[in-house]
Amino acid sequence: MNVEVRDLRVDYGEVRAVDGMTFSLGEGKIYGLLGRNGSGKTTLMSVLAGFRRQSGGTVRVGGRPVFENGKVTGEICLIRDAGETIDIDKVDDALYFAEWLRPRWDAAYANELLERFGLRRKMSVKAMSKGQRSALGVVVGLASRSPLTMFDESYLGMDAPSRYAFYDALLADFMAHPRTIILSTHLIEEYSPLFEEVMIIDRGRLVVREESQTLLARGTAVTGPADRVAEFTAGLTVLNTRRLGPTASATVYGDLDEARRRKAREAGLELGPIAMQDLFVHLTEPSGDAARAVPAGDAAAPHGADQSGDAR
Amino acid sequence: MRFPSRLLASQLFFAGLVWAAFYAVVTLITVGIAVFGTLTNSVWESATQVPRWFALFAGVAMIREFLPLYIAHGQTRRQFGAQAAVTVALYAPALSALLVLGYLLETLLYNVAGWPQELARPHLFASPTDVPLVFLEYLVEFLAWIVAGTFMAAAFYRWQGGGLLSIPLGIGLVVLGEAAIGTELRLPFIRFPLGVVSTPTVLTVLAGGVGCSLLGLAMTWSIIRDVPLRNRLA
Repeated sequence: MNVEVRDLRVDYGEVRAVDGMTFSLGEGKIYGLLGRNGSGKTTLMSVLAGFRRQSGGTVRVGGRPVFENGKVTGEICLIRDAGETIDIDKVDDALYFAEWLRPRWDAAYANELLERFGLRRKMSVKAMSKGQRSALGVVVGLASRSPLTMFDESYLGMDAPSRYAFYDALLADFMAHPRTIILSTHLIEEYSPLFEEVMIIDRGRLVVREESQTLLARGTAVTGPADRVAEFTAGLTVLNTRRLGPTASATVYGDLDEARRRKAREAGLELGPIAMQDLFVHLTEPSGDAARAVPAGDAAAPHGADQSGDAR
Repeated sequence: MRFPSRLLASQLFFAGLVWAAFYAVVTLITVGIAVFGTLTNSVWESATQVPRWFALFAGVAMIREFLPLYIAHGQTRRQFGAQAAVTVALYAPALSALLVLGYLLETLLYNVAGWPQELARPHLFASPTDVPLVFLEYLVEFLAWIVAGTFMAAAFYRWQGGGLLSIPLGIGLVVLGEAAIGTELRLPFIRFPLGVVSTPTVLTVLAGGVGCSLLGLAMTWSIIRDVPLRNRLA
């Protein structure tokens, strides 16, 4: 399902959680939604799922408005940390209602996932660990097979094997049943290989919306002798520098033209890809470095996203 | 509108389990009083103070547990409201039927044991075997207590601490239900006769009960019709 958001505002009393956000998402892709705590990720997804009404602007999913529109919300699944879909007596009860309320529910797949995550139907949800509750949320989210599926920090409390099981299940099911998936996470490096496109929001505004590879190409890791690295990066936007003995590695934001790349090679420096997390930290720095580093035209997507009001 | 079969079934299943356990406890108390003291009254009558609290919390659970569940599963508030209303309309009679069954089983026990099954309080019915009036009295009571529960739970869900302000209105719904029965005002910790000289007719009681439940549901709907799901549960 495609998503169109125009000039979206969400206020909590005096606090503006989402501030004039505009973007559109195409069908059949996995999107990463990144942002610091309190940046507005959960609020944005809650509006997309009809969990709350927006204060202003428009939200359309599949071309239709969302809030209190059963034809649309029935095709959307948002799994949040609050656990609304599983906050009931037993695992069996959670699945009993999911099967009844979800038009595309796949019971056999749900059973398969329960087994994969080591969950039993008779388990009491309230007695489950945080990780088990998260895993049950993932089961409900994936087996719902909703054309727009969103996971908001769904890995919380899950151990590494369970998280890997989630990635594998998500990818396999996405390949078998393509749909629009939005993943919100703080485990950026762990999740980033899943993302086809990334949205970064900060203080309620869209900072970046790009294909993952394009975003990663915005920066370069420069590694070599510390003095040469310092000389090479002088005048460039350096996101961070790490030193190990005489060797330094600097993360540089911005394109390096061929002349600069040649110069680096001649100086014996290695150029490599940077971590998405480094970019994320830079783009959402409270000091406002993002505004300095990201040209206004870069702040929104090249894929049909309206850029008005989104650049910081 | 889709019939709320699973919502109703889950509620009825739980109520049935609780009723069975409750009936067993009340019977044990009855036998205990008979063995160690003097049994002069219907113990089930006194025990029926408890099920109305159960009804209140069934109303609370309807909002606290099932409203977020429904919305998170893509249902609208309107769809939930309609299904909840139908569930309340069928659940209250089911609870009342269980109360009637309790009276009948107690009558059987008292008859076999030769104990006097006197009623200690004024009722619409004169005897526990007067099934239609027993059913009606508790039906109206349960309707009032359930909608009081849904209303107050909706207020607490939406405004958290501000929900405290809903308590007087919730009590008002309970008073309205009890007034419809017209025999005695039994509130928590407060109890006094209404002093109604003439017994209200069945239709008056029924109209009062239905009116009270519709009012309670309307008050609940006014709160939940655009309620946002909370990001974190308390």
